Amino acid sequence: MMDAHMLSLPISTLNPNQPCSVKVGTTVKEAIRLMQDGRFGCVLVVDAEERLVGIVTERDLLAEITGTGADPNDVIVDDIMTPDPESLHASDPIAFALNLMHLGHYRHVPLVLSDDDSRSDEGGYPVGVISSKDITNHVAVFLEGSKERR
Amino acid sequence: MLYEEIVDEELAIMDETPDEPSKTLSAHEIQVPLNSLMTPPVTIEMGASTQDAINLMIDRHVGHVLIVSTGILKGIFSERDVLVKILNKPVGNLRQIPVEHFMKADPQTANVKDSLDTAILYMAKGGYRHVPIVDEKNHPVGTVSVRDIISHLVEHFPQDVLTLPPKPIRRAMKSREGA
Repeated sequence: MMDAHMLSLPISTLNPNQPCSVKVGTTVKEAIRLMQDGRFGCVLVVDAEERLVGIVTERDLLAEITGTGADPNDVIVDDIMTPDPESLHASDPIAFALNLMHLGHYRHVPLVLSDDDSRSDEGGYPVGVISSKDITNHVAVFLEGSKERR
Repeated sequence: MLYEEIVDEELAIMDETPDEPSKTLSAHEIQVPLNSLMTPPVTIEMGASTQDAINLMIDRHVGHVLIVSTGILKGIFSERDVLVKILNKPVGNLRQIPVEHFMKADPQTANVKDSLDTAILYMAKGGYRHVPIVDEKNHPVGTVSVRDIISHLVEHFPQDVLTLPPKPIRRAMKSREGA
C-alpha cells in the first residue's frame, strides 16, 4: 500500500546510494571520471574536514563545461559547484525529500550526519544521496506489487 | 497469566490502524492518462550538431532533447549521454559532429493513450529519466520525466508535503534544557 504513511517513513528505507565525494580544489576532470566510473549523477564536494560544502551535478557539467567549451583539466569543482546545498538526514521522513525535490527542482539531495551541538545541517558529513529516481523506482515496486495482486 | 493477557491486549492495540483515514494512492490513481501531465517535447532535427543540441538543452532548461526527422522520432540525447560519451573523451569538435552520433536511437516510448504507471515501469526497468510520448505515427507529442512524477506525487499528497517546514524539527526534545 502506498499512502501518506509511506511519506512519514525515514529516507533510509529507500536504500539511498553511498555518496561520491571529492575534496575542494579537485579538478572537474577528476570529478567527471568518478561520476563515469561509478555511474553517479552527482558528486559531493567536501572540505578538508570532510564536511559538505557543495554539489556538482550532470547539469553543472552540461552548462559549465560542454556549454562553454572549458577544459575540465583547467577548472576545479569549486568553480562550478552549487555551494551549501540543501541536505537532510537519512532518518528524516521521505516527505521532506519530496518537498525539496519539488520546490527546489533538485534531482539529488545529500544526506548528512551533523554534529550533535549544531542546530543546522550546514557542514554536515555526507553519508548518502537520495535521488528523485530512487523515489520513482519505489513507486514502480509498489505498482509491480499491485499488478501481481490483481 | 493475567499479566500475559494484559500484554496481549496492549500488543493488539498497537497493531490497530489509526481511526483517521490515511490518504492513499491506489494503483488506479497512477493510471492517469499521460497527456494530462506530460510536458511539450523539445526537439531538434537529425543532422544538427551536438553543440546545438547541448545549447538547446541549456537554453530550454531541459535534461534531454528528442531527435526527429520529418517529424518522426529517431532518438533521444540527454545529459547522461553528455557525461558518459562526451566529457573527458577525445571526441573532437562538437560543432562538427551530428547529434545522432551520440543519441540513443529508437528509445523506449509510451503512447499518448498510455497511463502514467506504464511510463513509471518503463523508467524503472530501463533506468531512464525521461520517456518520450508519441502518437500512432511516432510523432513526439510530449515527454514525461522523473520530475513530472515527483510533482504528481506531491500534488496528490499536498498536505503531507507542501505544508512541511523547510527543515525537519529533529532536536526539539534535546534543545529543552531542564523540565
